Amino acid sequence: MAAIKRLPIVALILRLVLAGVFVSAALPKIQDPIAFTDSVIAYRVIDGSLASWVGLALPWLELVCALGLLTPWLRRASGLWIAGLLALFIGLHAVAWARGLDISCGCFGTKEGSETSYGIYIARNFALLVAAVYLIRLDLFRKSPLRKTL
Amino acid sequence: MCALVKEFLLIAALTCVGAALSIGTKRAQAPWALPELGPGEILAIDARSLDPIWVDARSEEAFAEAHIADALHMNEATWETGLFDLMDRWLETPRPIIVYCSDAGCSTSKKIAAQLREALPDAEIYTLNGGWASWQP
Repeated sequence: MAAIKRLPIVALILRLVLAGVFVSAALPKIQDPIAFTDSVIAYRVIDGSLASWVGLALPWLELVCALGLLTPWLRRASGLWIAGLLALFIGLHAVAWARGLDISCGCFGTKEGSETSYGIYIARNFALLVAAVYLIRLDLFRKSPLRKTL
Repeated sequence: MCALVKEFLLIAALTCVGAALSIGTKRAQAPWALPELGPGEILAIDARSLDPIWVDARSEEAFAEAHIADALHMNEATWETGLFDLMDRWLETPRPIIVYCSDAGCSTSKKIAAQLREALPDAEIYTLNGGWASWQP
């Protein structure tokens, strides 16, 4: 808690926003991994058992990283994971857009609007990516408390 | 650097625990338990997301009883009329075509799919692994 108090207020807000977005994205997918696997397959990049692995593990990774962002001894790796995932999502949306796929984003489970707005998805993820990179820069200059606790 | 690696390992371990929980509570199917695919086959889980044109190759009675929404009925007996309907639909919006019969033991879907590949060489044609039985919840 003391470590969080020392952070600038902007960083704390960004951390909470990123964590909130990733928790709200992860929970519906954890509730219904089969529907999320369908969304993954709809991008037509992977299928079969690989898509099932992604559908199974990715929501949990999102949840763990979201909570990790708020945990002093997990925040650096969580930030890096989140930035990597956001970059991946931007790439996937750009590819799907270029291929003209009319699919659900799958970002927050299946209960989303039916219209595919790739521009909005990419802009939203880019803004989140900028926030994540800012937090990574901030956190990488701090020593991880994990060095003491593990 | 060592602490960062520990952080990554801890995140991986927590993710694995969560995934195991999803399998343990039967929310998700274990990826290693998915059935193996034969040539030209597609899993129901993959087929759901493709928005394909469905072709039901079972008997007329089985089709009348229940079928996948918007499926066309097509077997050896109704081949000619079924093919015209299918071509109409496919030419209107080209998309994958998936043929199914009753279960993993039937072969009608494979025969129909083979005939369709000759009739529509540009179409993406699959047979549903496990057939109608695999589509049922």
